[in-house]
Amino acid sequence: MARPYGLLRAGFPYLKCLSMRRTTNFPIDIALGKEGRLYIMCRSDGTAMIRKYTVDDEDRGTMGGYGKGDGQFTWPVTIIADSAENLYVSDEFLHRIVAFNSEGEHIGTWGEHGTNAGKLNGPAGIAFDADENLYVVDSLSHRVQKFTKDGKFLLQWGSYGTGEGEFNMPWGVAVDELGDVYVVDWRNDRVQKFTAEGGFLFAFGSSGSGNGEFNRPAGIDVDAHGDIYVADTGNDRIQLFNAEGRYVQKFLGDATLSKVALDYMMTNASPNRMRDMADLEPQKYLRKPKSVAVSNDGLMFVPDNGSYRVQVYQNQAVPLTPQEFSPPRRSVTLHQE
Amino acid sequence: MAGNDVAQMAHLMRRAGFGTTRTELEAYVQKGYENVVDELVHPERGTPIAEDILQRYFGGEGAYVGLWIYRMLNSKCPLQEKMALFWHHVFATGLGKNQHILASSDQIDTFRRVGMGKMRDILLALSKDPAMLFWLDNNENRKGEPNENYGRELLELFSLGVGNYTEDDIKNCARAFTGWTFAQPIPLYPHGYYSPDFIFVEEEHDAGEKTFLGHTGNFNGDDIIDIIAAQPACAQFIARHLYNFFVADEPQVPSWNVTPPRDAAAVETLANAFTESDGDMSHILRVLFNADFFKAARFAKIKSPTELVTGILKLVGTHHRPEPGMGQYAGATSLMGQQLLNPPTVEGWHTGKEWIDGGLLTTRVNFAVKEVSDAAKPGIQDVIAQLKALGNDAAPEKFVDKCLELAGPMQVNDTTHGYLTQFAAANGPLNFEDEDASEETESRVVSMLQLIVASREYQLG
Amino acid sequence: MTATPKAPVLVVVQLTGGNDFMNTLIPYTSGIYHDSRPVVRIKAEDVLPTNDTLGWNPHATPLMEMFDAGEVAVVQGIGYPDSNRSHFRAMDIWHTCEPEKIGTEGWVGRIVRELDPRGQNVLTGVSFGQGLPRACALAGTPVTSVGDLDNYGLLTSIGDTSQREQALETFKQMYSSTVGNGIVMDYLSQTGMDVLKGADELQKAPATYTSDVEYPKSSIAKSLRDVARVHLADLGTRVFYAQHGGYDNHANEVPAHPRLLKDLTEAIQAFFTDLRAHHTSEEVVMLVFTEFGRRIRDNASGTDHGTGGGAFIIGDKVKGGLYAEYPSLEPSRWVHGEDLEHTIDFRGIYGTLIEQWMGIDPTPIVNGNFEQIYPFSE
Repeated sequence: MARPYGLLRAGFPYLKCLSMRRTTNFPIDIALGKEGRLYIMCRSDGTAMIRKYTVDDEDRGTMGGYGKGDGQFTWPVTIIADSAENLYVSDEFLHRIVAFNSEGEHIGTWGEHGTNAGKLNGPAGIAFDADENLYVVDSLSHRVQKFTKDGKFLLQWGSYGTGEGEFNMPWGVAVDELGDVYVVDWRNDRVQKFTAEGGFLFAFGSSGSGNGEFNRPAGIDVDAHGDIYVADTGNDRIQLFNAEGRYVQKFLGDATLSKVALDYMMTNASPNRMRDMADLEPQKYLRKPKSVAVSNDGLMFVPDNGSYRVQVYQNQAVPLTPQEFSPPRRSVTLHQE
Repeated sequence: MAGNDVAQMAHLMRRAGFGTTRTELEAYVQKGYENVVDELVHPERGTPIAEDILQRYFGGEGAYVGLWIYRMLNSKCPLQEKMALFWHHVFATGLGKNQHILASSDQIDTFRRVGMGKMRDILLALSKDPAMLFWLDNNENRKGEPNENYGRELLELFSLGVGNYTEDDIKNCARAFTGWTFAQPIPLYPHGYYSPDFIFVEEEHDAGEKTFLGHTGNFNGDDIIDIIAAQPACAQFIARHLYNFFVADEPQVPSWNVTPPRDAAAVETLANAFTESDGDMSHILRVLFNADFFKAARFAKIKSPTELVTGILKLVGTHHRPEPGMGQYAGATSLMGQQLLNPPTVEGWHTGKEWIDGGLLTTRVNFAVKEVSDAAKPGIQDVIAQLKALGNDAAPEKFVDKCLELAGPMQVNDTTHGYLTQFAAANGPLNFEDEDASEETESRVVSMLQLIVASREYQLG
Repeated sequence: MTATPKAPVLVVVQLTGGNDFMNTLIPYTSGIYHDSRPVVRIKAEDVLPTNDTLGWNPHATPLMEMFDAGEVAVVQGIGYPDSNRSHFRAMDIWHTCEPEKIGTEGWVGRIVRELDPRGQNVLTGVSFGQGLPRACALAGTPVTSVGDLDNYGLLTSIGDTSQREQALETFKQMYSSTVGNGIVMDYLSQTGMDVLKGADELQKAPATYTSDVEYPKSSIAKSLRDVARVHLADLGTRVFYAQHGGYDNHANEVPAHPRLLKDLTEAIQAFFTDLRAHHTSEEVVMLVFTEFGRRIRDNASGTDHGTGGGAFIIGDKVKGGLYAEYPSLEPSRWVHGEDLEHTIDFRGIYGTLIEQWMGIDPTPIVNGNFEQIYPFSE
């Protein structure tokens, strides 16, 4: 799919909220399946699981669990789905990638701890390219490695530092439909963009809380328009950048009660009274979101890590042709046509 | 390195911190005792722990206690964590009642932030702390219908001690804190905890005239705290608490008004330091750690469960970078009778001998023995490396001495030493240079360390 | 077997998390029950009726059988005024009999102090599971806490038997030296020696136990088998404490709760079968309790914390039947508009066991006088 020439950004409203505490405790990432299926990765001290869920707010049970055995994870970071809806999970403590089919059966584990080429040292972000090769952010070795789906090493780049192509404990990674690779350079508070082989293209972001600045950003995704979404964890928000890395807008959170949360509250008289006594404004805000995922139909899913839920937004950007979108201008203007 | 300097520094770091690895201990000795004390009492000059790293790896409020133990082990300002623990002992607030872990952990964060400052500021922060306000029912303390719980305990357990105020003082104290409450936080379900915030509700506050400890005025809570912090009884009371926590075990607090301090002169010294510095903890602690009575008090206290657990983890040298499972150590201190964030009553944990009964001793000993059982742990590897200097066919006495030295340095009495030596001698010659025997040697070292940490002496810190 | 009657023994089983009493003994003919619980209700046709209004959960069949045999007294509507729906607080109240202030002395600890005031037998009270529940905590009164009966005692992480024995020998030597060490060291010595003695005694239990009774594989069955083993070793234990967790069924109650009931009731049945096979069942009475019942209405997946619950008193000497009153389901009687009211105070049920079974004055143990029931045969 070719990128649109331009975008008419009609709006990007909040759509709804999914799930609640107990069902999705500390969601750290989400993978999008077909037909509205969702796989929500949950991680907290001593617990971890994938919650199977749907966009219609239905709980479909769990997959995997906390531990060191086959099909378990200790410190899962990222979950992604391949074209057959197999799920791949990185585990930054066990230094491995664990795979399940969509039924939750464990279908493979690979990865060995180490710092040599092909070894893993704190794998965090993972992403497939169009051929379903896997990019793995090796956070404690400050590098990106590329593997085949079943773990054969292909290439790597990056080392510790602040220069171009250098990293400080990087986290998230995304691949756009052209094959370019975006890496969140966590402790350098920036995003770097590379070619598929690791050639540096550009970087954006710096430390701070202003628009386009970051406070320890974590996860990232890129949509079909080339728009870049970054989970700016320390600033409790998602930031949207255009394909050139220019800041477009931020999402602070607009949560409402999900369907299951509403049902729950209907049988809980005392919390309802407490809610009535409380200032409810804070409940809509995101709390330490660590990832973001966008679907082909323009839904943005934000696992709201500190609030045990997923906030969903609907992109209303309209693609524009050259007829609908005049050529770029060098200068701003006040002239109205 | 002079043996006594090492032992003295180890003593300081057990009390002012949570123990050290051997490498850290030697580095501290190099700096010199008084310099280290200076460094300890000024955490603001040191490097704080990297909060972004903690945030990245330890998610969720449920991980707080494990994370606190991680801080105790890894903070470059361990006295700051020790003082947070001290205030947690004194201002005991139980999670069992509020069930709001964020409120309780916020309270510890507050103690960490203000705990080495002035008494007045500490009491003020305490009086505005939602976990405390709820724990002692000050959220129900209103003009015309006072609830005296907080007012009473503020005087009895948090600042002056029984005998230094009247029932009328309590009533007026409580009146002054009417309207000190917190805003209703959003409830836990469905989207998790929200921190409660202190609020002052003017219409619930009794602004009338009050007489408190001989002063009369339209006092609010801050005025009461000013009066309290200036009382000689407050200096005495906090001095005794500090002595009990940092120097040597005192009887339990409720008996303080009838049982004199075990070292009245020492408490007097600390009380004077309180008075001359306007209740500045940093200053009092400097006086305390540099005092002869402190230096002479090695092994005069039974380790609290938190001290036992952190001390062992320092000895075995693990957990110096984030890894999962810190929660198990929170569980370990709980099984030993100290569930952090959840002291049993407002009196706090009973300390000293009361840390020990059959079940608790079993738990302490088994925990310690298990932790030192793995020769691969860095701290044990350190011990083994240092023992190499003993060469082959080492004398069992020397082996025992060196193990005791590296595990503390520890002091044991002659009989204990004798039995340990017998044990060491019972399994043949000790060859530390011999590479072929290294596995056997490692197991001999582990066995010796197991007995050392199982000893009566190891219960003392 | 000796002819003299043995001292009465009490086994307390704590169901941690709040057992759903309404789904254990079910008011299956009540429309309100079915309407309030569209998801977690047990259908009337699945219930095992015991009378016109109440019936057993089909997964509690072993308990029903024991009830039908007249060995189970059901205490309906057990609770206390102004019930606290927090687990910790509610459990504390049950443990210390102090609903109004924070108590520190456990009721089981107080029974043990009464039975063995000088602490001569550290096994008078034995608790199974991780850590001692507050019910058993009482300063100066040791109640032995057993995590793993087959590997109980000191230095348990030393796997090699001869190494462990050698280390224990040195441990014993180190702790037995008591000359002029000061009171703290002496106290440590005494405590350490007591632990060694208790461990030696407890070791007899697994060593002497034989039984043809096969316990199911569950944590509660393991604990109750441990109770049987220690009891049968005749070590003077008078109060046992065991715990079964997992009852906090806010979510997915439908698969979870039946499994718990099955594990629990099968284990209880095996336990009494075992005792009977050893001719010791008449000495033992079991109390099964939980910190609270659950909400009348379900939350579409499970049930939230409620009040009025149920307890069971089980044994050969028990006069089976229904005691106290099943809480009314009439909405006008709901507490806070959502909870069952309690119909009898738990402290009276403790009192019943302490006075009528153990033969001890319950007043100082439960902090007062409360209405008792009479569930024992003469």
